[in-house]
Amino acid sequence: MKKSIFSLAALLSLAAVLAFAPATNWQMTDKYTVRFTGGGEVGGIFKTMKGAILFDDQHPEASSVDLTIDVASINTGNGLMNTHAKSAEWFDAGQYPVIKFTSKKIVKSGAGYQVTGDMTIHGVKKEMVLPFSFQNGGGTGTFSAKFNINRSDFHVGKPGGDVDENIKLEVVLPVVKK
Amino acid sequence: MLKRLLLLGVISGVLAGVVALIYQKIYSSSVGADFSSVVKPVGVMISNIVGCVIAALGYWILSKWLKGKTEIVFNFVFVILSFASMLPAFAAKLPLTVNSPELFPGLVIPMHFFPALSWSTLEPLFIKNGE
Repeated sequence: MKKSIFSLAALLSLAAVLAFAPATNWQMTDKYTVRFTGGGEVGGIFKTMKGAILFDDQHPEASSVDLTIDVASINTGNGLMNTHAKSAEWFDAGQYPVIKFTSKKIVKSGAGYQVTGDMTIHGVKKEMVLPFSFQNGGGTGTFSAKFNINRSDFHVGKPGGDVDENIKLEVVLPVVKK
Repeated sequence: MLKRLLLLGVISGVLAGVVALIYQKIYSSSVGADFSSVVKPVGVMISNIVGCVIAALGYWILSKWLKGKTEIVFNFVFVILSFASMLPAFAAKLPLTVNSPELFPGLVIPMHFFPALSWSTLEPLFIKNGE
């Protein structure tokens, strides 16, 4: 009887350890891309992003993501458009120098995953659900995400004009195990 | 006359191209922005030579119409066109791999005046007064 209790306790402890096993700490490589398109000639990249990624593809619920994009690193390919994008009318890079995403929950969704978190752009924080995929190559991996952001939700630019309301974003994040 | 004008066009184009390449080298090293993937030496030379040869043809056509006032009108038109050619430099969309596109007009706008400057420098050697 005593032996069975010990065995059960050991099993429960092992299960608890496995269930709460910390997710893998991934480090972003400098090959990441954050690309956006907003209709017609409007499009570009953000060149500077930092982040902390804890992710376990088997236990996504134990994972977390914290990403910060430097607004001043925007590059549309045109100097005047860059200056305009950083101005008070659009991102107001002086007052709101970063775009931030902090995850609250990550779940498996079909072949990929879904992360729910707070997106902060132009000083406006909004909860968003973003789909993403992860290719696990052992010691390396690649996160990929394609989603839309309604710029008016974050008061970026005036409604209408040449820039679409829905800005398409494509993020590719190669990572290595820390 | 046309032969001399074409020769002036080619030589002033080569001079403008060389000056543009020197300017590009100085500009890139002083501001630290590299646009060599967009502004290639061959392209700079060809565009300057072609620009000056077109100017030579323009001068020849104007000389048929305007006789004595050719130089005044030609210089005026050449400078106006040089100014007008600045606008596309502001609107240019560079590849996203090129850093600091804000500094691109600072490189190419002066280059747009080199053909006119080069032409004006060499013109007295090829065209006599009143021709």
